[in-house]
Amino acid sequence: MDKKTKQEDPQEIEIIVNNIPYSLTIGIHPDQVGPSDTLAKTLRETLGLTGTKVGCDQGSCGACTVIMDGLPILSCLTLTIECDGRHITTIEGLQEPKTGKLDPLQQSFIDHTAFQCGFCTPGMIMASRALLDNNPSPKTHEVKEALSGHFCRCISHYHVLDAVLSASKKGG
Amino acid sequence: MKAFHHYNARSIDQALSLIKDHDGQARFIAGGTDLLGVLKDDILPRYPLAIINIKTIPGLDEIEEKKDGTITIGALSKLAHVAGSPVIQKHLPALVEAAQAVATPEIRNMGTIGGNLCQDTRCWYYRYPHQMGGRIQCFRKGKGPCLALKGDNRYHSIAGGKGCVAVCPSDTAIALVALDARIVIIGPQGEREIPIMDFYTNMGTILKPDEILKTIIIPPVLAESKQIFLKFTLRKPIDFAVVSVASLIKEEDGMCTDVRIALGAVAPTPVRAYSAEDMLRGNSIDTALAEEAAQQAVKGFKPLSMNAYKIEITKTLIKRSLVQ
Repeated sequence: MDKKTKQEDPQEIEIIVNNIPYSLTIGIHPDQVGPSDTLAKTLRETLGLTGTKVGCDQGSCGACTVIMDGLPILSCLTLTIECDGRHITTIEGLQEPKTGKLDPLQQSFIDHTAFQCGFCTPGMIMASRALLDNNPSPKTHEVKEALSGHFCRCISHYHVLDAVLSASKKGG
Repeated sequence: MKAFHHYNARSIDQALSLIKDHDGQARFIAGGTDLLGVLKDDILPRYPLAIINIKTIPGLDEIEEKKDGTITIGALSKLAHVAGSPVIQKHLPALVEAAQAVATPEIRNMGTIGGNLCQDTRCWYYRYPHQMGGRIQCFRKGKGPCLALKGDNRYHSIAGGKGCVAVCPSDTAIALVALDARIVIIGPQGEREIPIMDFYTNMGTILKPDEILKTIIIPPVLAESKQIFLKFTLRKPIDFAVVSVASLIKEEDGMCTDVRIALGAVAPTPVRAYSAEDMLRGNSIDTALAEEAAQQAVKGFKPLSMNAYKIEITKTLIKRSLVQ
């Protein structure tokens, strides 16, 4: 067993969340990250960033989507211990840190009433943000494709489509 | 999710030695989109003590075109990367369609093509979460009969199965069968290369717990062949195939000179419709012949109590793949 412990990963990782680096110790205490902790759990329960929602916890609903190194990924199916050195953006990272001004995409969701209960919204906004970052003027079918893994049980899908397309025209 | 040890492997040798240290009580993780679901629901007969990350092994995610036209895909290539690769887009449109048909954009950014080939079945009895009222045992888990035989089997095999009638859920496997791909497996005994059809068994894959799927090799495709991948699902994103079909057709002067048809989600393994292919070879494919070939392909299929409809879908997809 000694041999195995020696081979085990370093006991500390660093993840950069919303441009803030966090050093996390691997372990079983409440302030530590367990090897089986998902990124969603770490964001919400260790770092207190509860904007990221966990819906199905199985990769089917898209609510837990965050941006990792420029690409939208599901934080419920990502192990935190495998994120050493990664840049992660969550919904909390979109507003201007100093002024508190919302991201144009967030404002557009408000302007278009693109949600009802709002549970799926952070995931939808993160996937849309990643889309607009890579493709500032997407066509309707591209927005639909980018959001195809997101489910809204209140059926606000068309409002979301309008919100994203409108934000893209404004250069959001 | 229950606790486990976690290791990042830096090389194949290290990954193999780590798994050996754990006497089969460890699992490799790549994209993790299937494995983490399996672990969360705690369906494995023995929960792994350790998870060994192979994403950290360099060089296993490359897509290359050799001089003779052979294309090799590293098993750790992400599905989004496969679908977006210019080489694949140019030569293997069926594989692009299949990779693009998997799950959602987020999962395609995470999941690898190797993982897509190795994923566990989605049978709802087998995948039933342990934490919801206790474990459901079944033939595939090594205890008791297959529950789908007498239960709700609307998404199960229409072509039989030995003991278990869960279907192979992979989309890319079906395209790769039509493309006549081979795969390279590496383990303690070294490397071996096998046709992709031989990779699948009635109960999953032949991959042993201490082996890694390393590379996918696609031989030069028949020049000027037409490739098609079609997937029928209840809703477009996320869903696994109810039925999928991949066809590769080569025609000369309106005459079919070669053809390969692969069927997905109809049986525990991918299925090649050999007898339908024989009917098409040497003939000019029209609607009537496509209809006959589709009928031939499902000959001998035995639907279960709730899934005869899958036979009609299979026939329709085959027809569509032949005459579009």
